[in-house]
Amino acid sequence: MSSPALSTGPAEAPDETVSLWRDAWRRLIANRLAVFGLAVVALLILVALVGPWLTPYDFLSQDINARNQAPSLVHWFGTDDLGRDVLSRVIYGARTALLVAIVVTGIALSIGVLLGAVAGYAGGRVDAFIMWLTDIAMSVPSLLLVVVINTSLKPPLARWMDAKYLETLNPVFRETVWIDFVLVFGSMALILWPPYARLIRAQVLSIRSRNYVTAARALGLPAGIVIRRYIVPNALGPVIVAVSAGLGNAMVLESAFSFLGVGVTPPTPSWGNMISDGLRVWRTYPHLLAAPAAVLGLATIAFSFLGDGLNDALNPKQWRK
Amino acid sequence: MLRYILRRVLIWIPSLLLILLGVYALAFFGAGDPIKLIFMRAPGDVAYDPVRIEAIRQSAGLDQPFLVQFGHYILNLLQGNWGNSLITGRPVWRTISAAAPVSLQLGLVTIVLTAVIAIPLGVIAALNQNSRLDYAILGSAIALWAIPPYVAGPLLMVALIVILPGGEIPYGWGGIFDVRVLLPLAVLSMQPIALIVRQTRAAVIEVMGEDFVRTARAKGVPELIVALRHIMRPVLTPVVTQLGLIMITLINGAIFVELVFGLPGLGRLTVQSTLDSDYPIILGITLIGASLVMISNLLVDLVYPLLDPRAGQARQGR
Repeated sequence: MSSPALSTGPAEAPDETVSLWRDAWRRLIANRLAVFGLAVVALLILVALVGPWLTPYDFLSQDINARNQAPSLVHWFGTDDLGRDVLSRVIYGARTALLVAIVVTGIALSIGVLLGAVAGYAGGRVDAFIMWLTDIAMSVPSLLLVVVINTSLKPPLARWMDAKYLETLNPVFRETVWIDFVLVFGSMALILWPPYARLIRAQVLSIRSRNYVTAARALGLPAGIVIRRYIVPNALGPVIVAVSAGLGNAMVLESAFSFLGVGVTPPTPSWGNMISDGLRVWRTYPHLLAAPAAVLGLATIAFSFLGDGLNDALNPKQWRK
Repeated sequence: MLRYILRRVLIWIPSLLLILLGVYALAFFGAGDPIKLIFMRAPGDVAYDPVRIEAIRQSAGLDQPFLVQFGHYILNLLQGNWGNSLITGRPVWRTISAAAPVSLQLGLVTIVLTAVIAIPLGVIAALNQNSRLDYAILGSAIALWAIPPYVAGPLLMVALIVILPGGEIPYGWGGIFDVRVLLPLAVLSMQPIALIVRQTRAAVIEVMGEDFVRTARAKGVPELIVALRHIMRPVLTPVVTQLGLIMITLINGAIFVELVFGLPGLGRLTVQSTLDSDYPIILGITLIGASLVMISNLLVDLVYPLLDPRAGQARQGR
């Protein structure tokens, strides 16, 4: 770990970085559970990207003659109460799930990186204040907060959008997706950022005072290079692990909010609102609950395995064994 | 020590004030007019009478600016008056204290269950690292973690109804010693158990690689003593440090479990009051929930140095 700090030649440093990641990759591939997680996550991303070309039916098309059908060769996962093909909705739901996971984790991570880095670098009162905010955000009952934000702000926001639409006739204001983006995603990010902020702050604090950073500074390297070559690669490991677990958490959280009626607005298919619809009729049509629940569970497990595998692969402490 | 506790407790005051201010602002600017809400829901006399609404609003002090109203709320709170429910008109404190025992008992039993089940499993998994037993324990922990309580609840319920011949539907509340409580407990403790199993396993594996364990082994301390004295003590730390997180998991889990199994606790009260926009109750529950998490975080910081002496020295040095 300390050897890159001693090397002054620019040619050696990239070599070291590559071997760090190659080493981590080798360890990841050696872990069977992590490979399973990686495969499922890759499949999920693929399905989300090419989903609209994969689905046998349109996710909105309704067939009055084929309502509540059990799984068959025509409809692999059956159909729901409106005669919509469940497999198509599950596939399209992968898009929603991935969108939720990436957007929410992205916002939460950005807030966390910004506040955590500022707290770690500045120290003193700024640090104390930011950590105070973090503690507060972590002690609010999170589900309650999200439900309250959504129930209290959704109607006024929807009214405002309607008024804006009538005023400007701009179709942008008729898309309920924007309300989802601002309120559902925003409130989820609001309860998910504190752990990232804490993690980044701890990373900044511990790496800033390491010997190899001091050595790099003493050699007169510009701050940009010190940050890019020594601080970021060493801080990245735990952050990647946290993000991997965070993506899975965000998906589960969305389904929880859909269950409470404050998730992504229908008719956009999300696994969460499919589960909550399925919960109403599972005694008679269990496949309506089983299909989205199984897929959501599988995705969460995959992200967990991948996160654990990454943790083992990127944690230098365990390399000695 | 006393000064440390005092300082920590004093910080709670501005923290709780800020949290209440946020929720109060949501109620004030977002939820709409509470007087109209009451009127709209009042049975019988539903006539919309602006003059009367204005009169009620003035008498309730709801025509005043935001900060004045919030100040009144806080002053009342300090005198032990939590306000009245907008729907039932009953005092918030009485509504909450009627629901709290159900959730608190469930929560306490869940924490005990978690400790008793999860710690041994985590230790066993770690001592047999990468064996089939380890994979089985870790795999089921991850699976439990991935199944949300609102899916696990109904599924377990139907399984029990099918398996138990002539069994009663496990719905409702009959006290903590009632048989019906078993299913909600199982669902509620699934995620905390999964969390602690993984934490314990990781902690034991990390401790086994520590220098002091190698030293103890090198100087010939019997393996059993090494396990008991050097490995077991640090193992309690993850459980203790996760107490705040477990608290949040429990508070969130209670919402689903109480909804699914029809338990009259704080979780169901939460859902009901948010559906009704019953803000006095929402504020009360927020206050209780946040205080619980803060208290458990303080407990963690007090117990932590007892388990890991290095942490105590770090704090004294600060």
